Amino acid sequence: MNGILRAAAVARKDLRVEWRGRQTITATGMVALLMILLLGFVVGSEPARAAAILWVAMGFAAVLGIPRVTQGEVDQQALETLLLYPGSREHLYWGKCAALTVMLSALLIALLVLLGVLFGVDVWDHAGALVGVGVLGVVGLSAIGTLLAALVLHVRGRELLMPLLLLPLALPVVLGCVRLTEAILTGTAAGLWPAVLVSFDAVSVLVCPILFEVVMEEV
Amino acid sequence: MRNDLDVSDDLSAVSARGLGRRFSLQWAVRDVTFVLPPRSVLLVVGPNASGKTTLLRLLATALRPTDGGGSVFGRDLVRDANAVRVLTAFVGTSAGAYDLLTVRENLAFAAAMRGRPDAPVATWLDRVGLTPVADDPVRVLSSGMKRRLALAQAWLAAPRLLLLDEPYGGLDRDGLALVAEMTEDTTRRGGSVVIATHEWERVMNAADALLALAAGRPVEVGPVAQLTAADLAAAAAGRR
Repeated sequence: MNGILRAAAVARKDLRVEWRGRQTITATGMVALLMILLLGFVVGSEPARAAAILWVAMGFAAVLGIPRVTQGEVDQQALETLLLYPGSREHLYWGKCAALTVMLSALLIALLVLLGVLFGVDVWDHAGALVGVGVLGVVGLSAIGTLLAALVLHVRGRELLMPLLLLPLALPVVLGCVRLTEAILTGTAAGLWPAVLVSFDAVSVLVCPILFEVVMEEV
Repeated sequence: MRNDLDVSDDLSAVSARGLGRRFSLQWAVRDVTFVLPPRSVLLVVGPNASGKTTLLRLLATALRPTDGGGSVFGRDLVRDANAVRVLTAFVGTSAGAYDLLTVRENLAFAAAMRGRPDAPVATWLDRVGLTPVADDPVRVLSSGMKRRLALAQAWLAAPRLLLLDEPYGGLDRDGLALVAEMTEDTTRRGGSVVIATHEWERVMNAADALLALAAGRPVEVGPVAQLTAADLAAAAAGRR
């Protein structure tokens, strides 16, 4: 119970700081918007291509936004204070992961609306299924992203390292979400992709908090 | 037995046994051995880069010792690090607060993280003189006010071991009295306080024991009562 309260406090704090600073949302939103406009212009705005454009934009936006998950603490010189609070560091992981999930979800909703407007995709008709895929994708990205944000915390050139680590690791998430979204929008079979996504999320959610504790053992 | 560093480990508030920490090939702290009884104030002095902050960070479990070991109220610094964190509060040179949150929000966050979400934040704000700025974001505070916030964040945990790193920076007279009150409150509750500072004159009357470091090694360990002001000055300069 105490752990849940601590995780909730971290998530609330991160979201409050983000709401007042709007650094992550602004940066990720701008990148995602540019990606959608650029890719839409290059590959065309047919609804069948919307799935790939949506999740590639999400992936690149996540690359930009995820380092902010822990960078804020470093900038504020508050990381040591945070780590010295008693309790498992898994609680910090869950709090930060929850905050990142909320931020990426907000971004995804905005992008889905944009996709509906620009690509003529009938988002509302498929809202339930798209939200389901969105949840799987955002949870996977957040679970891995929170761990990687801790991993690159004190690495010089982390802006370069983050895409090199996140994009290959998150490939199953992005690929699975593209295939599932495509299947929803075109009415074709999804195959094994739901199982792949669920398995990937389950493994990430089980393993990443443990690794986070190891990574944050000493800073 | 306030002025005796030779109590047994079982009775100690802090016990360090050959404690050392190396960064790459450079030893920041080495061969630090002392036992601090409960209800005591340990003054840690030494010139710049003598290892004062590193020692405090080792005792706070922010760093793992490279060599030796230690305990806080019987809890091992490495094996029982979380138990040590429950008992300890560390006030470093930065406030450890979030600029975009208000003073009240920062204090409430610290209380929640300490497992005391129902802590009377308003009372603590009043106690450290931050009520007038309670709803201001931390970024607009002066360094002295930020220091008061850091003290309040540590104090509300009612720690048994209070670690203060240069606690007097930026504080006015009321703020200095606050540090003294916090120190007294901790020792009255059976806890101990370790203060690392260059401004040792401020705390020498309240301190029971002295640990002087030079280049990471202890050059003086013992009761303050046996030292003259000249001895203390020499120890603080690392010349003992």
